[in-house]
Amino acid sequence: MSDFLQMGLTGLSLGLMYALIAIGLTLIFGVMRIIQYAHGEMFMLGAFALYYWHAELGLPYWAGVAFSAGLIFCLGAVLQVVLFKPLQGKNILYSLAVSLGLVLIISGSGQLLFGTTTKGIPSAVSGGMLIGGAYLSYERIVISAVSIGLIIALWAFLRHSVTGFAIRAVAEDPQTAALQGIRTDRIHWIAFGIGSAMAAIAGCMMGTLLSIVPTMGFLATIKAFMIVIMGGLGSVIGALVGGLILGMIDSVITTTISGDIAIILSFVVIFLILVFRPSGLFGQNWD
Amino acid sequence: MDKSDIIARPNRLVWGGLLALALVAPALVGFDLYMIHVGITISFNVALATSLWMIWSLGVISFAHAGFMGIGAYASALVLTKLGLSMWYGLWIGAAVSALFAMLIAVPLMRTRAVYFFMASWAVGEVIKRNFAYFKDFFGGWDGVFDIKPPVLDLGFLQIDFANRIAYYYLALFFVSLTVWIIYRMNASRTGTIWWAIHENELLAQHTGINVFRQKVVCFTIACTLVGVIGALYAHYQTYISPKSFDIWKSEFALVHLIVGGLTTVGGPVAGAISLTMVDEALRATGYFRTIFFGVVLIASVLLLPGGLETVPARIRKLFNRNSQK
Repeated sequence: MSDFLQMGLTGLSLGLMYALIAIGLTLIFGVMRIIQYAHGEMFMLGAFALYYWHAELGLPYWAGVAFSAGLIFCLGAVLQVVLFKPLQGKNILYSLAVSLGLVLIISGSGQLLFGTTTKGIPSAVSGGMLIGGAYLSYERIVISAVSIGLIIALWAFLRHSVTGFAIRAVAEDPQTAALQGIRTDRIHWIAFGIGSAMAAIAGCMMGTLLSIVPTMGFLATIKAFMIVIMGGLGSVIGALVGGLILGMIDSVITTTISGDIAIILSFVVIFLILVFRPSGLFGQNWD
Repeated sequence: MDKSDIIARPNRLVWGGLLALALVAPALVGFDLYMIHVGITISFNVALATSLWMIWSLGVISFAHAGFMGIGAYASALVLTKLGLSMWYGLWIGAAVSALFAMLIAVPLMRTRAVYFFMASWAVGEVIKRNFAYFKDFFGGWDGVFDIKPPVLDLGFLQIDFANRIAYYYLALFFVSLTVWIIYRMNASRTGTIWWAIHENELLAQHTGINVFRQKVVCFTIACTLVGVIGALYAHYQTYISPKSFDIWKSEFALVHLIVGGLTTVGGPVAGAISLTMVDEALRATGYFRTIFFGVVLIASVLLLPGGLETVPARIRKLFNRNSQK
């Protein structure tokens, strides 16, 4: 019983972290209809920003998280304006190719600048507690709380703020939104920045929990895409549910059978979801 | 798209010139073994990109393409290592196995559309790769399959050992030219026109009486069969294959070749694969900077040359026309 509780708790915290990465991606797709394949690289850069802030310079942890989020927000906004804006309205393949180029550039220069050795970020909290025989570190609780908090904050931002309304309007119909006086270009870089910043924060969390290498972005991209496809592109709820499903598969199958089977199984699950619900669990039909 | 453009005479000259150049290329580089290796790599990439382009004529891009190449490669390799049959059998067995899997997968896969198709096909490709890695006893796991001997062609009076790189270059060139020719002809045929009709407007195509679903499955199967043959050739050239040889990056690079080359004619993927493989090899000496430069070249060509390399002749023509009018 306690085994299952342990697996469930691990799966939950893992799933929330995955959801955090995936929500950024789904926001970017929903607003701009581009495939941001370098999303995992934002995750990686976020983690390294915190590493240099907290582990190398010894500055406070939470300020570092904010610094990393702000930095990656700016980076995302600049990338959107410089690289993705000219591709607006073109076939989705072009954005895929450009972001693929970004992956090569960022991970390549990451290996040059940061070195290829594995690094760790010292965590902000220590200790843990036992719940019904399952061990839960405070670190994981804090990380899960941060993830939940951010997801709720984003949800509230999209629901209730003026900019949030504008973002949803642009996602719904860019032309009509522009006719209402919304500056779609501005919304585009804001959404890109927010999405990237969420990935960066997830990177900070992940970097504290596990270890960081410059090549870790690719795996994050894969996970994020798996989640987003499962949940439906452009759907925030879908990303949350997809993240939890994937986290559970990862945690339960890896513990009970093996890591290889967990990956194969998650791809089979995605394939089946897409065959029976061709637009994902909560997705719309994009053409 | 303009069909009359494809069969125009200048294009035939270009194709013929390209083939002639490819035929004399080993002599031009002085039979340098490394350059011939580059030539063989270019051939494989051309075939991969062109067959991916064939799927693109339906309006979708399959990320499972490297996976199907892997199926062909593994089938051919295992036929050799387990049954002792040479590549001359392995090629066709690889193609047949790849075709069989492609057809079985295409039936559910073709239910998905647009951007979801990328993702579903990507899942397929990843599952294929992971299965090679997981079944260690049969496929050799992550270590892969070793000792895949290149074949010997015995014509009675003449024996050609394809362990020789120059001989293998011509073998690869033959199969790649065949692949490109088949795709070129299919694209110019009525079937090709039907595929482009589906590409342009699926609903409309359906209403003119095209069995869209069947056409999609047929197109996907043919493309995967062709790439299965190339996979078998690849396996016997490298003499070693592992699941890593057929991961998502291979499909992605084929897509990149396609985009940089251009998406509307067969010339696009051919031009893209040739030029980018050369760029990639030329950057090999720069070590870590190789991937960075490749990324820069990729982004620059997408942003600065929209439409790809295939639009270059038209651009030059336009430039000259403007000058002559002055």
